[in-house]
Amino acid sequence: MKLRFLGGLRSRLVIVTILVTVPMVVLLMWLDGRARHRAAAYALSDGITRRLQHPEERTRCEASPSTWGRPRPHGRPRPADVPDGPPRPRPRPPPPMFPMGAPPVSYAYDEHLVSANPAAPLLTAADRRKLDESSMAVLDRPWYGDDVDVLVRTPWGSGPCSFVLVHGTTTPGFIGALLPASPIWLLPLAAVLLAILIAVGPMVARIRRLTAAVQRSAAHGFSGRIPADGHDEVAELARAFDAASREVQAQLAAKDQREKTLREFLSNTTHDVMIPLTVLHAHLTTLREAHASGRAPDPLILTAAMDEAHYIGALLHNLAIAAKLDAGAPGMIKGPVDLNALVTRVVSRHAPIARQRAIALEHAIPEKALATEADVTMLEQAVSNVLYNAIRHNRTGGHVALILEPRSQTRFRVRVIDDGPGIPPEQLDRVAQRGERGHAARTRAPDGQGLGLDIAHRVASLHGHKLKFAESEYGGLEVEIEGDQIDPSSLRKDSITSA
Amino acid sequence: MPERILLIEDDQELGSQIVESLKKAGFEPTWWRTGRHVEAQQLPGLVLIILDLMLPQTYGLDILKELRSTGAEVPVLVLSARNDTADKVRALKLGADDYMTKPFWPEELVERVRARVRRPAMQRGDALEIGKLRIDLASRGVSVEGGAIELTRVEFDLLAALARRPGVAVTRGWLVEHVLDPDREGNERTLDVHVSRLRKKLGAGVRVETVWGIGYRLGTEAP
Repeated sequence: MKLRFLGGLRSRLVIVTILVTVPMVVLLMWLDGRARHRAAAYALSDGITRRLQHPEERTRCEASPSTWGRPRPHGRPRPADVPDGPPRPRPRPPPPMFPMGAPPVSYAYDEHLVSANPAAPLLTAADRRKLDESSMAVLDRPWYGDDVDVLVRTPWGSGPCSFVLVHGTTTPGFIGALLPASPIWLLPLAAVLLAILIAVGPMVARIRRLTAAVQRSAAHGFSGRIPADGHDEVAELARAFDAASREVQAQLAAKDQREKTLREFLSNTTHDVMIPLTVLHAHLTTLREAHASGRAPDPLILTAAMDEAHYIGALLHNLAIAAKLDAGAPGMIKGPVDLNALVTRVVSRHAPIARQRAIALEHAIPEKALATEADVTMLEQAVSNVLYNAIRHNRTGGHVALILEPRSQTRFRVRVIDDGPGIPPEQLDRVAQRGERGHAARTRAPDGQGLGLDIAHRVASLHGHKLKFAESEYGGLEVEIEGDQIDPSSLRKDSITSA
Repeated sequence: MPERILLIEDDQELGSQIVESLKKAGFEPTWWRTGRHVEAQQLPGLVLIILDLMLPQTYGLDILKELRSTGAEVPVLVLSARNDTADKVRALKLGADDYMTKPFWPEELVERVRARVRRPAMQRGDALEIGKLRIDLASRGVSVEGGAIELTRVEFDLLAALARRPGVAVTRGWLVEHVLDPDREGNERTLDVHVSRLRKKLGAGVRVETVWGIGYRLGTEAP
């Protein structure tokens, strides 16, 4: 609370206001003082110049330099100023030149700036230097004081009245000043300050309420709304908080959804892998029992066991890709792909299992490399799935061929042909449309297509490839993936598949 | 002299199996159970490095990076359990030659290794030699075990097309398009007739094999 008091909005406002106002007032007063001094100096110099131009003035001054220059009552000549002799008509006295403040006093100085008048202030060398440049100088006096001194060289410039110092005062309200005469002007300033502090009170209260509302909302997982009434900045702030909390809420919901998907995926995956693994266990057990009883292991069981292991590997790759595809925007990394190398890799991956199952697996690649732009892992898995599907559903002694060839100058196609059981024509459409109908069927769907073809579909649609299913001329299935070629010269060391 | 292969693999079981498969395939494997820098004096005679990406303590790609920074050009086959495009791109950028994802069958590994260290087919100038067959591309002359054989233009082109890539299947479609006389109407049946004539002329010493679903290839193994 102590901190809050010191760092609070209100106290900050007070401090800032004082920090801004005090220098401002000082500056104003300084300007005011300067202006008064300048105006008074002007009036004094004007007056003394006029006075000294009067020819009698020299005589008068030189007659009694020690007393010359005392103030005289306005309008009436002082006795000392009146020359002896018969009175003569005097011109009308000039309008008072020093309307306010104390009447000015003049002091006479000789060439060495020494005055016969004991009341005359001492002059310094600095004051003297000022007169070197002109016949008149305003002497430095503090701006906050009333004193104004003007030093003048007399027109004759010699004798005991070589120089004259006129001393006057500034006066509140003097013409040329900025501020009013009375310090009453400080009152409205104080009033404005007070008004600011009063106005800021409700604002501070509203900000405190907003803080409390945000804290409440955060404590409940940003589920509550943050009230925002009004149209000012505080209301804007409240609305911004509200929008932010709703965004956080949406992000949290999306994260929850992702977590849920991941959990489901993990549990499905476990389920999907456990089944072939259990089958593999059973096969291995049968083999061990055969071995224990001295019989030769059944090659069919051996093949089935290897097949199951191969299937688990393919399944795990597919599940990993399915996870990527399910994650919304799939993390595709497209680049130039050497299709010849890709096809060769896919064939070499499945050749051992085809051999084991006595299925002839043949492949053809063109003499010149074909290239396309794709995510190599996804495309390879799609081709692999189609090929493995053909091998897996074929019978012993069957054939599978994988052919990569240019379809035209700009298109390529990958064909997988088999002489397996195939798919009845009335079901071909259904298989071909799986991609569009979602992917509810998982690995061991009754029709035996499962996850592999589903991924082939999704990868094809992500890459803009055509995926076609047809009856092959050998009675089995013919699957075709068709897509765009790119210039194979883009296949250099930095491409995915330098064959 | 057996070809030396360096295997960098931390898993005891997998490592010993790979070593076994490589030995059976006629290679001479050296097995490092931990990842460390491949020194220059270890390179001579090395035809391939098989590098597991996930090694304890060392990151497999660092070994690859260091190796390539010394200018060594020995092919590197990367093994990884992660089927991840980013990993592949990174490995190939750092100078890997091939990438193999676990799990794999021993045969698959051996086949990939062989493909990596295989020397280019023998071709001297314009002559191709496959087993007992010799083809002179310039003079369009063909001989089996030294005995010259007369072939028609189509038969010669057909044989040359297959012989350019011995052991590799060539599709019927490609052969029809590139080998048959474009002026005459030719189809796959015409092609089959040409092939059967060619086989008869070449005799049992040269095998022009029919490849199911694809077309033909020139057999590389002696009959």
